[in-house]
Amino acid sequence: MKQDYKGEAAKAGFTLRGKADPDHAGMLATLLSLRWVFIAFVLILWFVYYPIIDNFVVSTKSQDIFTGETAFIGLDNYRRLQDDPIVWTAMLNNTLYAVISIIFQVFGAFVLAAIIEGLDNEKWRRFWRAVYFIPSAISITVTGLLFYFIYQPDIGLLDSALTQIGLENWSRAWLGEEQTAIYAIIAMSQWQGFGYSTLLFGIAIQKIPRELYDAAIMDGAGTWRRLWSITMPLTREMTALMVIVTITGAFQVFNEVMVMTAGGPNNSSQVLGTWLYQQGFIENDFGYGAAVASLIFVITLLTGFGQLWYTKRRRVHL
Amino acid sequence: MKSNTFLSTTSLASFVAAGLIAGGASAAWAKDPVVADPDAKVEYSGTVSILTKFGLQQLSPFFVNVAKEYEKLHPGVKVELIQESDDSVKGKTKALVASNSLPDIYFTWTGSWGENFVRGNRAVDLTEVIGPNTAWGKELATAAVSAFQYNGKLFGIPLYLDAKFMGYSKPLFEKAGVSEPKSFDELLSACATLRKSGVTPISFGNKEGWPAVHYAGQLLAYNVPQATLEKDFKPATADYTDPGYIVSLTQFKQLIDECSDGAGTNGSSYASALQQFSNAKSAMYYQEIIEFDQSTADGALKREDFGYFKLPAPKDAKGDVKSIEGAPEGYMINAASKNIPLAIDFMKFATSAENGKILSAPPYGQPSATVGGYSADTMNPAVVGGLKIIADSSYLMPWLDTANPPRVAAAWLSGLQALIGGSQTPEQVMEQVKKAAASSK
Repeated sequence: MKQDYKGEAAKAGFTLRGKADPDHAGMLATLLSLRWVFIAFVLILWFVYYPIIDNFVVSTKSQDIFTGETAFIGLDNYRRLQDDPIVWTAMLNNTLYAVISIIFQVFGAFVLAAIIEGLDNEKWRRFWRAVYFIPSAISITVTGLLFYFIYQPDIGLLDSALTQIGLENWSRAWLGEEQTAIYAIIAMSQWQGFGYSTLLFGIAIQKIPRELYDAAIMDGAGTWRRLWSITMPLTREMTALMVIVTITGAFQVFNEVMVMTAGGPNNSSQVLGTWLYQQGFIENDFGYGAAVASLIFVITLLTGFGQLWYTKRRRVHL
Repeated sequence: MKSNTFLSTTSLASFVAAGLIAGGASAAWAKDPVVADPDAKVEYSGTVSILTKFGLQQLSPFFVNVAKEYEKLHPGVKVELIQESDDSVKGKTKALVASNSLPDIYFTWTGSWGENFVRGNRAVDLTEVIGPNTAWGKELATAAVSAFQYNGKLFGIPLYLDAKFMGYSKPLFEKAGVSEPKSFDELLSACATLRKSGVTPISFGNKEGWPAVHYAGQLLAYNVPQATLEKDFKPATADYTDPGYIVSLTQFKQLIDECSDGAGTNGSSYASALQQFSNAKSAMYYQEIIEFDQSTADGALKREDFGYFKLPAPKDAKGDVKSIEGAPEGYMINAASKNIPLAIDFMKFATSAENGKILSAPPYGQPSATVGGYSADTMNPAVVGGLKIIADSSYLMPWLDTANPPRVAAAWLSGLQALIGGSQTPEQVMEQVKKAAASSK
């Protein structure tokens, strides 16, 4: 429905006089039409951008939450980041999270989606989509608790299964050992997130015109050739989106680590999110916690820009 | 996509918001110390809010019932309860402090934890209403009230007493032919015998980190002189050079390796270990007196089969062998509360002898800090016996993680996990603690 902005301008008490008035009324109407944009802009500024800027401000201060005393310390918290060994452990863990998630939740999910969408029977396609999607419908906290019991030493499902198949030497306290804790959490995360990525890739594959595949088949292209030359290029934007979402998600991971190990043992499974929480809410150092938050922000922002730039250069148009 | 990337970063909102409020707001708490007036008239109207540590299903009815009774007595008053668990109350309290939203009454531990509220003028000085010569003070155990003393003034209202004991299964001890150990070495040999009989000697879960701190705390009380410990709890005087620290950590490592599942315990939770003990899968479990009733609640272990003893002291211990690790736990009144007399009145009601008896008896089993607030007839005999041991102890060693500043506490937590896992030696753990203490000065 078209809105009568000129009418609204008149209702607002503005009268049209002389030759220039229609132009003024037009400008006023344009301004009035922007008022909703303005409200949205203010809301975004206040709730999204202001907290980000203020987080940087908080990171330049030393604060005592109990006394309310604050002192400006410049970039000291950022210098501390460089010397904090746990920050480096956390960065490594986040990076591992991102790399493993890209392998399973982007490339693995892409291959699986291509296999499922390649099935002739629609009923089977629906069935397999549902099978892989179900874990994603479970809350991450519940999944964390579920895997906590699966990983329990000796009595857990994993160690029991290893013992049953004669691999008892492999059984261990998966969450209790510094060498395995983060990998156990990452594995759980793959189980949970794999189906969601598969579903999204499935949607992207469904959008590819069938004629392209038919033509390729007539030209003698095999399954792998079709996957490589048709499916992959035409789902590149979805792949880019999934890479961005996976990397930013990997650098914001928090719940699963808190539920399963709380960053332990001996900080071996700390990620930036849990270290930020530890600094702010356990060690009362909100300034340093804000510096860790800034680090997460910069990493995810740069990842997003980098990936968008790369994808734009290699976009395929139908 | 750009906006998505920006939006995605706001998942840190709760942290940022707390930081913002901490940095920006400044007027919602008392700038100057607030002293309770014993003659203040209580206005029985409005709302009184309380943050408790009784969020567990088994404990939560206590304050619900107390609130109902109080509201029945004073129809103009509404009691608002915020009930958290032992783990969640720490984060919740700090979020409330950072946002200047502390309720009228809030839970606190003793030591450095409680001192933070006093330092920030967030707790009412209760000396005039709870001191030893006041009517209320005479109703409460003096030692428990004194545990909340800072700068010579009293700030806390003790609700119950707590201390750590080794609970054990009498049938499993009998089956293995083991009796209550009287020394640390006897405990280690009992572990070996129990293991041979096919049970885990001590179930131990240290995912949270603090369960290890409780063992270490008791061993420190045995091996390090009290004066040294108290000096080291204060950031200004801490140096952690006493050789008793290394001795304690060496004994702790030996105990975990020989009596529990060793390195694997870092992957199990404290609650899972309690379950293992209750289900007769392990012979012992190091627990707080306030957990005695939980150990025998619904599991295979019957109340009459439950035994307990204080962690035995090692030979030639240089500290206080008559000490016990524990402390009263209680509540403070928010200095910014709009109705301090009402908040105090509610806590007088909650700590009455009648409510104390309810709190001390099953299913709660939290030994009241109120004089006459328990009756041996209605209580678990183990809790009654444990209280006697607490009363006979020469020193109550505070929990290491609440006695120390947060950074030092964090060093203890992660260091002991590393010691259990074998990635650090006792010496390396102490270096880590010293470093944290130096940075907390």
